[in-house]
Amino acid sequence: MEIKVNETPVRTSRNFRINNLKLENIEIPNNLKPFKNIEIITQKAEISNNVRKYKLEYGNGAVLEENAQNEANSVLNIKTSRKGEKVTIIYTFTDEETILVNNIEINTYKDADITIVYKSNTDKACFHNSVIRLNTSPEDKVNVNIVNMLNNKSMHFESMENSLEDNTNVKYTIIDLGGKVSATNYFADIIGKEAKNDLKTIYLGIDNQVKDINYIAHLKGEKTEGYIDVQGVLNDEAKKNFKGTLDFKRGCKGAKGDENEFCMLLSPKAKSIALPMLLCTEDDVEGNHSTASGKVDEKSLFYIMSRGLSEKEAIKLIVRARFNKILERIKDEDLLKDIVHEIDNRL
Amino acid sequence: MAKTKVDDINRNIYDVVDKDNYEFKMQKGLNREIVEEISKRKNEPDWMLDIRLKALEMYNKLELPTWGPDLSELKMDEIATYVKPKANLNNSWDDVPEEIKNTFERLGIPEAERKSLAGVGAQYDSEVVYHSIKQELLDQGVIYTDMETAVREYPEIVKEHFMKCVPINDHKFVALHAAVWSGGSFVYVPKGVKLDVPLQSYFRLNSPESGQFEHTLIIVEEGASLHFIEGCSAPKYNKVNLHAGCVELYVKDNAYLRYSTIENWSKNMMNLNTKKALVGKNAQVDWVTGSFGSKVSMLYPMSILNGEGARTEYTGITFAGAGQDLDTGFKVVHNAPNTSSVVNSRSISKNGGACTYRALVRIAEQAKGSKCSVSCESLMLDGISRSDTIPVNDVETDDVEFSHEAKIGKISDKEIFYLMSRGLSEEDAKAMIVRGFAYPVSKELPVEYAVEMNNLINIELEGSIG
Amino acid sequence: MKKLLEIKQLHAQAADKEILKGLNLTIKPGEVHVIMGPNGAGKSTLANVILNNPQYIKTSGEVILDGENINELPTNEIAKKGIFMSFQSPEEIPGISTFNFLKYAKSKISGEQVKSFKFRHDLKEYVEELNMNPKLIERNLNVGFSGGEKKKNEILQMLVLEPKIAILDETDSGLDVDAIKTVSRGISMYKNDSNAVLIITHNNKILENLHIDYVHVLVDGKIVKTGDASLADEIEKEGYAKYKKVEE
Repeated sequence: MEIKVNETPVRTSRNFRINNLKLENIEIPNNLKPFKNIEIITQKAEISNNVRKYKLEYGNGAVLEENAQNEANSVLNIKTSRKGEKVTIIYTFTDEETILVNNIEINTYKDADITIVYKSNTDKACFHNSVIRLNTSPEDKVNVNIVNMLNNKSMHFESMENSLEDNTNVKYTIIDLGGKVSATNYFADIIGKEAKNDLKTIYLGIDNQVKDINYIAHLKGEKTEGYIDVQGVLNDEAKKNFKGTLDFKRGCKGAKGDENEFCMLLSPKAKSIALPMLLCTEDDVEGNHSTASGKVDEKSLFYIMSRGLSEKEAIKLIVRARFNKILERIKDEDLLKDIVHEIDNRL
Repeated sequence: MAKTKVDDINRNIYDVVDKDNYEFKMQKGLNREIVEEISKRKNEPDWMLDIRLKALEMYNKLELPTWGPDLSELKMDEIATYVKPKANLNNSWDDVPEEIKNTFERLGIPEAERKSLAGVGAQYDSEVVYHSIKQELLDQGVIYTDMETAVREYPEIVKEHFMKCVPINDHKFVALHAAVWSGGSFVYVPKGVKLDVPLQSYFRLNSPESGQFEHTLIIVEEGASLHFIEGCSAPKYNKVNLHAGCVELYVKDNAYLRYSTIENWSKNMMNLNTKKALVGKNAQVDWVTGSFGSKVSMLYPMSILNGEGARTEYTGITFAGAGQDLDTGFKVVHNAPNTSSVVNSRSISKNGGACTYRALVRIAEQAKGSKCSVSCESLMLDGISRSDTIPVNDVETDDVEFSHEAKIGKISDKEIFYLMSRGLSEEDAKAMIVRGFAYPVSKELPVEYAVEMNNLINIELEGSIG
Repeated sequence: MKKLLEIKQLHAQAADKEILKGLNLTIKPGEVHVIMGPNGAGKSTLANVILNNPQYIKTSGEVILDGENINELPTNEIAKKGIFMSFQSPEEIPGISTFNFLKYAKSKISGEQVKSFKFRHDLKEYVEELNMNPKLIERNLNVGFSGGEKKKNEILQMLVLEPKIAILDETDSGLDVDAIKTVSRGISMYKNDSNAVLIITHNNKILENLHIDYVHVLVDGKIVKTGDASLADEIEKEGYAKYKKVEE
């Protein structure tokens, strides 16, 4: 079938080729056997299989949303009520298990660290579609890390949604490496007073990978803060569409938002489209966005090569330097090693 | 607490309504008979009628845009597409009928011509009523006339360029324009001729429930240079008026064109205008645009940098007040190596007005070594208005320098305090800051226009009562 | 002698934090006062509160100029009454040249039309005295000025606007030795028997060529010690440690 995913919150001219991502000949799996290769590491978090039905504000399109809500072969409700609770969930794709549709609801009642990792031990084309919802409580400090390391034949769809209460502080980190097509949709509803949502993403596109990134933050409460920082590298014939929206709603007095996107292009055939939107119906705000793209800075390259590194090594180093600021947020050292290894391999 | 109130633009001189005293007003609506009638009245050659009819067909096929401002109030069957004023084309202001002349005098057009212009064109409703150019420019081979005359006298040039830069299927209102166009200016600057003072065309729409569809075609030959100014205004009526003009600019190798617009349509105007420039090798086109009027605007001038080393700059300000939805911006396509573009956009929203900056930057795969930098700032003067920034940046190759920055916010309290500490009242301080915000645009305008723009941005403070 | 500026039991806060905690200060015509104090003591706050910067809230106390309570006046009215503040970091305002701005501000403060020709002539003299690039005044107000040029521009404005009392908020910070001398010369030019200067500083350099009547030490929102010029030298040698103890 043909589906359209990742629709922008505000449409613009069709000729600009960014309103949505059209996918042809895509099979949406159903009647799935439960996904078994899941590792859940936690101490006291309560984990169950009851997830409330919920209509996403944005999401990755009706077809994928229904698929995740009705056909999921992994349903997890994570409840954390102890301060500093850590939960790590690792899904590993294998030759036997190539389809994962997961529906995750996270409810935090205290500070928490949640990590969700998608690994792959197979060369087969896999399919992954998910919905991850995060509901916070006032004053929570919540870190969420999502790591996509699928192989480059696979389809990867993810819809994330957060709602933030008074003084909640969410740090969300997305490491988006795998997938022939990777379409990620993210929505933060920053409702509570002085709530802060800080999203940082790394993506890496090689071969013919397509990255379709659609991030939206609504700033509603007074003195709320919303940050979107996306750092990416494209090589070969990879293609990236970035759509980022900061929407300052009337009443969000004293709100601040910053959206920053940088794309490093390593090949003349790589393509980068960016649509960084600022929408605003409140005067007492500070909103900024900046996007930039271009090739590796030649001065840095020359400097590093003058210290004995090959061009390839120098580029890797520069890319790593760009990513480091975001990678710092991955506290699990083994996972960080895996990610760095994956990035180096792909480059 | 004192609350800022920014005055609506002082429209007194623009809002003077002349009697709807036309020689001929086309029945409302749009169909083949109407298009044929316009063509017949203009005594046009068949090739132009063919373009019109093809465009009409296209118009009927094309959809309304699925994005942007609400156009539902626009009903084509309530719009008269052609209104011929009671005046023929004149070369002397003295011969322009009194009432029409008074209108243009109020707008300062004849005075501007005497003072600082190389030539002037003035259109009233659907027809150009006045056109003149300095003799010395004629001697150098410069052509500046209305489009109808150009079709008659320079058919080869017009045929080669008309609706070629902007194809008739570009969007629905381009097709509409091509079907019913009337009036507008034709400028031809021969190779190497440089005009050091500007030409100006002024468009006035007086007739209610009508449309203006002027066509501007400018060809600046190799190494030549021109500054063209376009002004537009209309008095306010209760029913919707439509402006769907089209501007086609050909800037040949090493040529330079600056295209300045002060748009001050009344607030019942749907301004759905299309402007595009094709830019040759090492040539440059600069757009300077001030958008103050109309109810709805959808206006995105476009530069297509086809020649190696071509350059373009866009400097624009949009000021939206109550009831206005102004969707403006800029499009640039880098099609050749080492091309460059600089975009500087400012917008001010107040009293519930909405400004949208909508833009496209496309750097094609072959445009190695190209550069683009975009800066976009929006000022919100109150909490009931709206300001959106929707820029698409499409980079298709690696050897480029591209950067885009945008900011949104209110007037800085620190700046207000600084100015007040020097004795300025709060309202004076705010006015000064808003003018400073608009300064990157006003400094690009000829001096008289900059003054006019500053007067347009008139700010007053409303103190608390008691 | 009559009092020019009198501050009585002034309390003020910024962002819900009390910064001035009962400050008293009296300045008479012809005097030069200096306020020194550690970072965060409230020095800049004092300057801002006197001019009624809306970022700060006066919670109690009085500011009296020439016998008139100016607590509730908006900033521009305070400026018109004759208080000038030289900003630590002057704002950049595009769209108006420094010359035109000065002329405009002068007309606002004096309430009279300013004659361009004479004004330009007077200005030229000041510009030369302050070693300023004469082209600067044709540029937009503070836009693209270096740190030093901005500070000199503040002193230029002080000279032109002729306030009764000039408050210089760390006008010397970030300046090299020569520029400090220039600023100091500007202050001397301005100073006469009927006006007064309040210098907020960290640095003794700016005081060298000036006659100082009083030095105040401001710690934790209050003046904890007042003395003559020798107090500035003492602080330069010994710092504020002993006054901080006094507070505890």
